[in-house]
Amino acid sequence: MSNTDKKNPPQLARKVFEWWCKKADIEDLLGDIDEYFQYNLEKKGLQTARFIYFRQVLSLSFSYAIRKRKKSASYSNYYQENHLAMINNYFKIAVRNFSKHKLFTLINILGLAMGMSICLLSLGVSVAIYQSDEFHTRKEHIHQVNTYLADDSGDKTYASTFNAVGDYMEDKYPFIEHSIKIKSGFYPEFVHQGNLMNYHGYFVDEAFFEAFDFKLIHGNPNAALATPFSLVLTKSVAETLYKDVNPIGKTLETESGRFTVTGVMEDLKQTHFYFEVLTSHETYVQIKPDTDLDTDWTNFRNNYVYLLLKPGTQTETLQEALAQVSAHAAEFNPELTIELSSIRLDQVVPRWNISNAVGIGWDQPSMLFFLSIGLLILLPAVFNYTNLSIARALTRAKEIGIRKVVGAENGQIKVQFLVETVLLTFLALVGALFIFVPLRNEFLEMVRAAEVLDTSLNFDLVATFVLFTFAVGLFSGIFPALFFSRLNPVKTLKGNGFSQSGGVSGIKKGLFVFQFFLSLVFVIGAVSIARQYAYVFNNNHGFTSNNVLTVPFQEINKQVAINELEDHPDVKSVTASSNLPGIYLPGTVDLTPNESDTIDARQVFIGDDFIENFDIELVWGESKSLSTSTQNVEFVLVNEQFMQAVKVFNIQKDSLTFTLADGTKCRIAGIMKDFNFEPLSEYINPLIFRHSLAESNYALLTINSTDIKTTISELEAIWQSIDQEARFESAFLDNEIDRAYYFLKAQIKIFSYLSAFAITISCLGLLGMVTFTTENRTKEIAIRKIMGANSQNLYYLLTKDFVRLIMISVMIAVPFSYAFYDMVFLHFLLHYGPGLGILEIVVSTIFLFFLGFVSIYGQTSRIAGANPARNLRYE
Amino acid sequence: MKGYLGEFEELVLLTIANLGEEAYGVALLRDINERTRRNISIGAMHSTLTRLEEKGYLISHLGEPTNERGGRRKRYFELTSPGIAGLNEMKSLRDELWANTKVKLSV
Repeated sequence: MSNTDKKNPPQLARKVFEWWCKKADIEDLLGDIDEYFQYNLEKKGLQTARFIYFRQVLSLSFSYAIRKRKKSASYSNYYQENHLAMINNYFKIAVRNFSKHKLFTLINILGLAMGMSICLLSLGVSVAIYQSDEFHTRKEHIHQVNTYLADDSGDKTYASTFNAVGDYMEDKYPFIEHSIKIKSGFYPEFVHQGNLMNYHGYFVDEAFFEAFDFKLIHGNPNAALATPFSLVLTKSVAETLYKDVNPIGKTLETESGRFTVTGVMEDLKQTHFYFEVLTSHETYVQIKPDTDLDTDWTNFRNNYVYLLLKPGTQTETLQEALAQVSAHAAEFNPELTIELSSIRLDQVVPRWNISNAVGIGWDQPSMLFFLSIGLLILLPAVFNYTNLSIARALTRAKEIGIRKVVGAENGQIKVQFLVETVLLTFLALVGALFIFVPLRNEFLEMVRAAEVLDTSLNFDLVATFVLFTFAVGLFSGIFPALFFSRLNPVKTLKGNGFSQSGGVSGIKKGLFVFQFFLSLVFVIGAVSIARQYAYVFNNNHGFTSNNVLTVPFQEINKQVAINELEDHPDVKSVTASSNLPGIYLPGTVDLTPNESDTIDARQVFIGDDFIENFDIELVWGESKSLSTSTQNVEFVLVNEQFMQAVKVFNIQKDSLTFTLADGTKCRIAGIMKDFNFEPLSEYINPLIFRHSLAESNYALLTINSTDIKTTISELEAIWQSIDQEARFESAFLDNEIDRAYYFLKAQIKIFSYLSAFAITISCLGLLGMVTFTTENRTKEIAIRKIMGANSQNLYYLLTKDFVRLIMISVMIAVPFSYAFYDMVFLHFLLHYGPGLGILEIVVSTIFLFFLGFVSIYGQTSRIAGANPARNLRYE
Repeated sequence: MKGYLGEFEELVLLTIANLGEEAYGVALLRDINERTRRNISIGAMHSTLTRLEEKGYLISHLGEPTNERGGRRKRYFELTSPGIAGLNEMKSLRDELWANTKVKLSV
């Protein structure tokens, strides 16, 4: 049988089996299956024999025989069946340990709570996103049609599809009950009490309310979207427009027509849609009569089609139908590869990668990013726990030794530690929830459309939190558990289980450096964004925004208003403009410098004295002739960027004239030095200043007043005397600009939170380590003191290791921050910002050192100032 | 003696009696599988053996290590007197039922 000897049974199965049986005596069983394998090998061949071997191992593993043998193998005097008592004991020991080492417990709970809070937030948001659209009763029958498009340049999957797909499929396939077409891009501007109110919404099919479970508070769900120019408002919009009045039947004027309110619906909650108003799909056809949406097989952007299937329809049926429709669509787009697919309503968000998504389009990558930020804060806290627990080995080693001597198994020691850690993390969860609630409210305010997400504590969320906490507990507890269960009882009881030095091992050093590195990076981030923010208000746009009061004209007689306001003694000068400087400009205008090429530019209409009042610098020409425009030629101001853009085309010709898309001939009267009319986060684009009071929307008053409140009320009186109807809604330009930079404030907030958490966790870790090392060195310090060391020497001795570690982390963090913030992040945030300065780095570093010292000062001075005689006597 | 032997239990005990000195795991398994043309797994058989041993119908002991099976010892099974009594009880019960049958059972 020499040849069969080489053919061995599968080693993997045997190993797993041996591991599974642990200490049970299975020699004869192994022999049996081995022999059976050899027997089968001869009869049936290698493959079958191996297969049978696997099956036999499996059958044995779950057989009574093994259970019995394992049980009898683990029997000992101290191992009883009474698990409950044992678990009880684990908890008791854990609680005793917590109360015995209050400082450590507190440090760990605080650190873990902070670390977990950000994770809880990101988990909460993720859970809410995953729960989106779960509330629709017919969610299983509603499918969104997606479009995969590929051409030579690449491929993409779009959440949108051709508008014609909807009607085409509804007509052709009987299993479709309804197709719901949704077109985004409904941006009505309502004139309401003299104010222009902007809203965003969709053009949707009549069946919208039939398919989706959105509740109408007022109005008939079946008829609300039946006619063109009908309008459904969400509750909050209805409340701002009509307080205490039933809005049904009210009309709202827009540029494109008069809308009638036919319904008010609940505010959006837990859905992937994001809109404030809805109008019927018919409206789109009425507004844009030249487009024929129903037969449009070419435009796939911003059209969404949802199919409501009849109950019992197989998904395969739908897939087949979509394949046929794809082929049909391909006839209209020969250059494209088209594949239509569908996704169930409750799975529309989050997706991994989808273009042109409906609403916000929550995606998995950003969720992952958010979660990893949370983990980045949590990890140091977990490391701290691990570090501190292992560092306490000295005090706990004897306990473990005794446990082992009286018969505790390795597994039991492990469970003991895991129970302790899990218990601690659950305490931390309570703390984290206290941080989570305010953090969530901040978050909901900060992130666009976050109010749609329901992050209140529901069952799924609580379950997720508990699971997460459990996982964190196991993860932080596993290393201490492994460490302690491996201790040799004889050595630990003799007291030389490990080195007695209070030093910090290499891996711990690494974790320390990492923590402080992270903290410093976050602090530098927060400080440097704060600097960007300050920079914005230091007149760095290129115009003067101080003491400028803005008043929207509304329907007042503009010229009269300007003349009257100018007469007030505190008003230095009045001008007007269509857009506020420092705020984003909507849209662009096309113009041609040479009758054939076009460039696009931003345009702003200004009144008299605008250039002077805002101190805008001209590099060439003058601004006075702006008001002398004639029928034939309009004088305008442009910026240097404009000249750059035009230069490309006009080489020989007169470069000072151009024609706007509407045929207006313009002549450049002056060139402005480039300045940021828009926020600093925007690139400077070609810009045209045209003179027109009629097109201006705001009166801009340069005020010089000692009592601003009285001045404003006096101005309001003047305003009211001109026109009773018009409201006087003044605001300082600086405040308006401030609002345009809300994103900076949001960033500052985020970074402040992150850095506060990171620093606190690191300092807690530092405190824990220092406490531990100083405690272990009590006697050493006492002896040193008796031998004549002064407190300075002792401070140096106790802190030098940690200071060195902080120094190392600073040395890594500073270049990293410089590279990351100055070259990437800040540039991305503000194109024309000041970048990262030396000052911020220095301030942040000093701040970090300061906090580090504060956290260790108490411990070191306690031990250095103690009476050495008492410390030496204490045993 | 509580309860009767199960069908498979009886089969195992009888096979042990048949194999005599050579009654160990694989031998039993192969014998039963060949005779009954079933496909019993080792796990099922050892479970039954364990239960029978618990009930006291058989005892087991490990043999000497040999060159076979990688030097692993075999576990041999032997019937005990309760085991033999149990088998006899089953047989007499069966004989009694055969004797009193009112339908012609022979084929």
